Amino acid sequence: MACPCELLIERIDEPTARAVLNAVATCAWAVEERFSRYRSNNIVHRINTSDGSPITVDEETANLLDFAEQLTVLSDGAFDITSGVLRTVWTFDGGDRVPSQEQIQKVRELIGWHKVEWRRPVLRMRPHMQIDFGGIGKEYAVDCAVSLVERIAPGVSCLVNLGGDVAVRTPRRDGQPWRVGIESHNDVGSPTTTVALHAGALATSGDSRRFVMKDGIRHSHILDARTGWPVQGAPHSVTVLAQTCTQAGSLSTLAMLRGQGARSFLEAQRARFWIQ
Amino acid sequence: MNEDRKGSRNINAALTAASCALLGTAAPPPAKAEELPRWSLDSALLYYAEDNDRVQDVSATIAAIRDFGDERSLALTLSADTLTGASPSGAIASNRPQTFTTPSGNATYTTAAGEVPLDDTFLDTRYALTVNWSQPLGRAYKASAGVSFSTEYDYTHLGANLGLSRDFNKRNTTLSFGVAYSQDDIEPVGGVPIPLSEMLDVGLQGNKLGTDSKDVLDLLLGVTQVLNRTTVLRVNYSFSRSSGYLNDPYKILSVVDPLSGDTLVRTPVGDGPDGIYRYESRPDSRTKHSVFAEMKHAFGAPVLHASYRFMTDDWSIESHTLEARLRWPLGAASYIEPRVRFYTQTEADFYRSSLTVIEPLPEFASADFRLGRFDASTVGFKFGQQTATGNEWNVRLEYYQQTGEIPRAQNIGAQSTREQYPDLSAVILQFGYRFGF
Repeated sequence: MACPCELLIERIDEPTARAVLNAVATCAWAVEERFSRYRSNNIVHRINTSDGSPITVDEETANLLDFAEQLTVLSDGAFDITSGVLRTVWTFDGGDRVPSQEQIQKVRELIGWHKVEWRRPVLRMRPHMQIDFGGIGKEYAVDCAVSLVERIAPGVSCLVNLGGDVAVRTPRRDGQPWRVGIESHNDVGSPTTTVALHAGALATSGDSRRFVMKDGIRHSHILDARTGWPVQGAPHSVTVLAQTCTQAGSLSTLAMLRGQGARSFLEAQRARFWIQ
Repeated sequence: MNEDRKGSRNINAALTAASCALLGTAAPPPAKAEELPRWSLDSALLYYAEDNDRVQDVSATIAAIRDFGDERSLALTLSADTLTGASPSGAIASNRPQTFTTPSGNATYTTAAGEVPLDDTFLDTRYALTVNWSQPLGRAYKASAGVSFSTEYDYTHLGANLGLSRDFNKRNTTLSFGVAYSQDDIEPVGGVPIPLSEMLDVGLQGNKLGTDSKDVLDLLLGVTQVLNRTTVLRVNYSFSRSSGYLNDPYKILSVVDPLSGDTLVRTPVGDGPDGIYRYESRPDSRTKHSVFAEMKHAFGAPVLHASYRFMTDDWSIESHTLEARLRWPLGAASYIEPRVRFYTQTEADFYRSSLTVIEPLPEFASADFRLGRFDASTVGFKFGQQTATGNEWNVRLEYYQQTGEIPRAQNIGAQSTREQYPDLSAVILQFGYRFGF
């Protein structure tokens, strides 16, 4: 997953602990294998190299596409799984390279879910368009993992943490919460707030490590698919608590895309959130 | 605005539906989480009362810990206590009433015949503050540093401490090292008396020399070992060296007739003592070594803490302390914790219940009961309950009983017919409340 992954299990016997660890790791790897755009043997690769031909996708991929479509609708197009091609012009490495409007304009021709024909289970994209589940996949993997643990080891409480997106399905038997620190955006590794998590999920969107600095303007890596430009005025990071990690991640992403309106958006959701 | 909010709420509902569809599950139970308080506070109000109107102490303490995450924390303790009552002056009971000059040197007080003289001008209010910071140092070490300060009418303490610990053996073993240094200034009421000088008449302060000080160096070396899943053992060795003014400036010794054992009579010029008393004299350094072992063992939910301490010093005092408490859960939110403590010590080699008039003055002498031979036991219990919001209140009630004795060889003449080392009992009542914000 190219990020630190962590599993904490409340005290149980070793065989069960091993089984839980195995299930979580298998689950995380499987999601990565199936949906990473960096693989050349999966459905995402087949879609991205389809060159305009229709592709019939499996049930799980169809569910993810439906979900992504929902996010696009709910964000009025600001979120779009076809916007990944913007990475060819934007490099968020802390440097100062900002693309020209012409470069962005050229790439924008390949962006837009409305340009995609999606009639479950058949997807047809224009040549050179690409999809990317990067904005959803990690949270989805967390939820798959906690669901799997719930099935194979009912009653066992564990915390799954894939690169900072965490979930707990079953509360601990000792009544104690799992303690999750929300990392400070400017002091990586030190939490500003510690959350006592009994059950639920926390997901964070932020730019603490990925940004471009140009003419004194910090461009976050949160790009608005409609313009191809980073969202202005977005907080450094947004962490949201929800029942599932997928929901928490979606809320935090949609909030970031609102820029300065992130806080009022989340307040209107009655979501529990932490903004930096 | 209302329209916008309504629209936004719909987004959340739509996301819930979409997430459930994606994950192919019914909605999981609602999320349950709260932000952990940054400060946790432990407050206590303690009442200590000795029998027979001796010392009473009311003290209020508040300890605050601010957790900065990653095992970094700041701890502050603030306390205030007020002592009132009377404490033994060191003079022995006599066959007639005894009159003493007060420490301030401007009044007298009288003790009835046969009674152990108590100095009832004892009254003090003390304020103390400690500040401690602890944090990891690299991956394996944890360090702490702190300062302490306290002040009362006749005493000022200033101290600093450093600690370092390291985990080994998959964190099953912890080695710790600590060092502390303090500098205390003593400004007794009326001044610091010249050791072994006589108590003078009211208005005469020629034997009082203003202020003095002492410093204390403490070193600690400890090992904590997890023995198994239910047992932890801690063993500490500590070294302490005090130097400077170690007397209690208010303690005196009676000068007695070598045959009758009665206090020698003198006639004050105006107002003043009607017997001969000398201020105590202790060595100007004291080196202590102690070993402390504590075991914590969980019998399922109940947890036993048992500890033993041995202390020896170059004043020839040896002490043993045995302590045990058993924390017994009552239901999910309460516990009761019975506790017992036994203490015994031998007397200092310069401990003297009195001085005889014919002997040359010894270099060191003290009749302070706390340097004498005594045993003490404490029994009590603590009851605590967690509130629905996760705070805890508790109450502790203890009874303390101390019995001491004067070495038989030190009893002269009629002294053995009078009580020389009165028993002491005390009640300790404490209310505590622990909360966070």
